[in-house]
Amino acid sequence: MPVKRKTISSLTSWLFVLPALLVVVLLMLYPVTSSIFYSFTNKNLIKADFRMIGLDNYKAILTDNTFWTAFLTNLKWTAASLLGQLLIGFSAALALNRIKKGSGIYRTLLIIPWAFPSIVLAFSWKWILNGVSGFLPNLLVKLGICDTTPQFLSSAALAFPTLVFLNIWFGAPLMMVNILSALQTVPQDQYESARMDGASPLQSFVHITFPHIRMVVGLLVVLRTIWVFNSFDIIYLITGGGPGSITKTVPIYAYDTGWGMRMLGKSSAVTVLLLLSLLFICSMYFKLLNRWEKENA
Amino acid sequence: MKRRLHSRRGWLGNTISYVYLTVLAIFAVFPLLWIILSSVKEKGELTQNPTAILPQSVTWENFRIVFEQLNFGTNIKNSIIIAGSTTLIAIVISSLGAYGVVRFFPRFGKLMTRVLITTYMFPPILLAVPYAIIMGRIGMMNNRAGLVIVYLSISVPYALWLLVGFIHTVPLEIEEAARVDGANKLQVFYKVVLPITAPGIVAVAIYTFINVWNEFLYSLIMINSSSKMTIAVALRSLTGQEVLDWGVMMAASTIVVLPSVIFFMLIQKRIAGGLAQGAVKS
Repeated sequence: MPVKRKTISSLTSWLFVLPALLVVVLLMLYPVTSSIFYSFTNKNLIKADFRMIGLDNYKAILTDNTFWTAFLTNLKWTAASLLGQLLIGFSAALALNRIKKGSGIYRTLLIIPWAFPSIVLAFSWKWILNGVSGFLPNLLVKLGICDTTPQFLSSAALAFPTLVFLNIWFGAPLMMVNILSALQTVPQDQYESARMDGASPLQSFVHITFPHIRMVVGLLVVLRTIWVFNSFDIIYLITGGGPGSITKTVPIYAYDTGWGMRMLGKSSAVTVLLLLSLLFICSMYFKLLNRWEKENA
Repeated sequence: MKRRLHSRRGWLGNTISYVYLTVLAIFAVFPLLWIILSSVKEKGELTQNPTAILPQSVTWENFRIVFEQLNFGTNIKNSIIIAGSTTLIAIVISSLGAYGVVRFFPRFGKLMTRVLITTYMFPPILLAVPYAIIMGRIGMMNNRAGLVIVYLSISVPYALWLLVGFIHTVPLEIEEAARVDGANKLQVFYKVVLPITAPGIVAVAIYTFINVWNEFLYSLIMINSSSKMTIAVALRSLTGQEVLDWGVMMAASTIVVLPSVIFFMLIQKRIAGGLAQGAVKS
């Protein structure tokens, strides 16, 4: 009798986690496995039948110059966006942590970009930056900074930096809020005693603040790297990869291949390569984070 | 002397902080303001006077076009139904799951975190290919229920991650007291754990809803008839039509962005800090 009750009890324990487990297995692990499978086939978006073609997709991609250009753009896009988000997010968090009055209001205003749907982000900035009747280009002309309205999104020189700026605008609030809540966990008495010992603000930042918050910051950087590296919406909706293919990243390349040229098998291979490079980048991050964790312990 | 130096430095630092935060706040708020202001301006004013901030006269014409000519109400309804059902299902699944892992399988906690971080690495565009193929095969392309299923993949892992943090705050003693009184596991869960974690669960639910409301890529791939489109994709389809003007697009954008911003402001304190820390703690 006790045995039976125990079995029932452990069965209910499993019932709690089973639905979540099913979602992860059926909606994430299985699709990824099948995507790897399709990357070795010539699967087409509208045709039902397909066959195995070995490494042909990978060969075609890795010998395509457009892919390598997109890959390089992806790296630049990720590095520049991350650096900007971290810089703005960190400095804003320090400023918010410092001021006494009004930090709640500033915080609330500063997180607004985070709530923007990508489509509205695209529309609002396309309108603000519009080369004919946009607010900013006309303001720059009015102030005498530019002679003619600058074409932020369609000029070859400006399109990429503008997109990076927009991605920083969108991503910095998340950094700011998380770094701020990490800053608030640093014990205040340590600053007090450091100041007694005559430490400068910079010294107390390096020796007290940074060691306390670096795990959170490190993890944030990993999570955001993943997100930006994979991001599709902002670029697709604002420039579509253009002008030319100056702002084309790997996710856009994959979408064009799969839904533009209808080659889903080849598109799968592109996304598998995307995942592999991400795994490589993240494994390097985690090596560093593990070392920090050991030092903290 | 030294103290005075400190307070002067403090005054300077505070001033710099306020100036810096004000500049950032202007950048953060301006696009939202600009969308709203543009949505109520006359068509002529938008193009003739691009740097004027305030409208000369307020018009609701753009909103009328959005609802009457573009039938945007249908898309709003679609988005509410899809985001609402996804949120409901995702919260049930992940609150049960989070509680189960924390209480019954604590040794798997670390493994779960690893699995969740790994699945977070899966590029959405990678999952889009098999979703398109699988949903096509089972006849659920261009189907709102199919989109809800796909959306569970973006909402359940996140909700699990956040909810584990909230469940950890429930004192074990209260649960044990309920067990002694004869409550079974499920009763303990919904009579003791749920009420205590309710504020957190509500915050996660709102966050899930906003994320689905804002989602674009899967909706673009899964749905192609305009009567079934979510707001994000319906908005996108406006760009193809040359007749449309910016005033109308800004009116539609206002309708899409305002709920996100307002709800996000309400829950930000509960959600925001937990994203990175949840992973550090476990």
